[in-house]
Amino acid sequence: MTTHTDPIDEVDLANLAALHELLARVDPVPADLAERSRFALTVHALHAEVAELTQAEMVATRSAKDATRTESITFTSGTVSLMVTTRVGDDGRTARIDGWVTRGGAVVDVVTADLTRSVTADEHGRFVVDGLPRGWVHFLVRVDPGEPDARPVITPSVEL
Amino acid sequence: MNPRPVSSESLGYRAGQAFAAYQEGDHQRLGDLVELLTPVLWHTARAQGASGATAEDAIQTAWLRLVDSADRILDPFAVLAWLVITVKRETWRLVRGERREIDVEEVPEAPAMALGPEQVSILGERQKALWRHVAALPARCQELLRVVAFADRPDYAAIAQSLGMPVGSIGPTRGRCLQKLRTAIATDPTWEA
Repeated sequence: MTTHTDPIDEVDLANLAALHELLARVDPVPADLAERSRFALTVHALHAEVAELTQAEMVATRSAKDATRTESITFTSGTVSLMVTTRVGDDGRTARIDGWVTRGGAVVDVVTADLTRSVTADEHGRFVVDGLPRGWVHFLVRVDPGEPDARPVITPSVEL
Repeated sequence: MNPRPVSSESLGYRAGQAFAAYQEGDHQRLGDLVELLTPVLWHTARAQGASGATAEDAIQTAWLRLVDSADRILDPFAVLAWLVITVKRETWRLVRGERREIDVEEVPEAPAMALGPEQVSILGERQKALWRHVAALPARCQELLRVVAFADRPDYAAIAQSLGMPVGSIGPTRGRCLQKLRTAIATDPTWEA
């Protein structure tokens, strides 16, 4: 006979594990909730202006060997617009981004879960980042890199 | 205050390590903390009867409050308990549409869990039986077990206190809620171990 004053044992842990499995099935955590929470924290920390995703389209392009998926995404804020074209590399694990920002010389941080790659757009606003790990990514644009008090512009996360 | 987790293998301890690193200036570790605690916080909010959208709002607000209060949380290993309390309060504030702060003591009892027919239909026979037993528990027990099911044994006592349960309601002893579930399962002839 067991009572409520006994220590928690393996049977109790097994019951809780079964409940965990049941709840994970009927009420799963939204897949992007953690990502959106991190994003909210970043915006808060940087006092950033949030750009909106205004356009996203899939473009199927055909390389010499086979079809590759390319995605073209546009973000817009009051200060700046950013257009990026993403393409998954031949190895299927990394991605390349060709970007264009409406302010030449802007510094663009490409932020993934594990790393941040910082590039300076050329005078026409173009930039390229290659060898990015696939997964969620967002962009942080500093249009006046020399102005420390200027608010950066942050984009929502998109999946590479 | 809440007892701090002692085992290095518990969710609360790992969360405390990440939060301590964040407090010391390693801002990347905040992302680890979010990753670690999102499931337990989701179920904390949902156990209050919140819709998915309300649960998400409450959780995001709790994270923002955490970074704004980070300097005032003296024991980083209390961060799990702090977030559970905050998510519960935020959920109720949103559910009741009130702006004022409310104490955990004032927070009404969580409603009993309910599953729609589609949700039940995806469960296996064993899960359906477990669901019947859980649904028959008092609402307070459902809330407690739902949240601790997403943490580790050393964290149970601190979580129970955060939810406003009396000391000893769970951990290190079984407590009445786990005992009730255990008895129900043990006397179920259809349950096979």
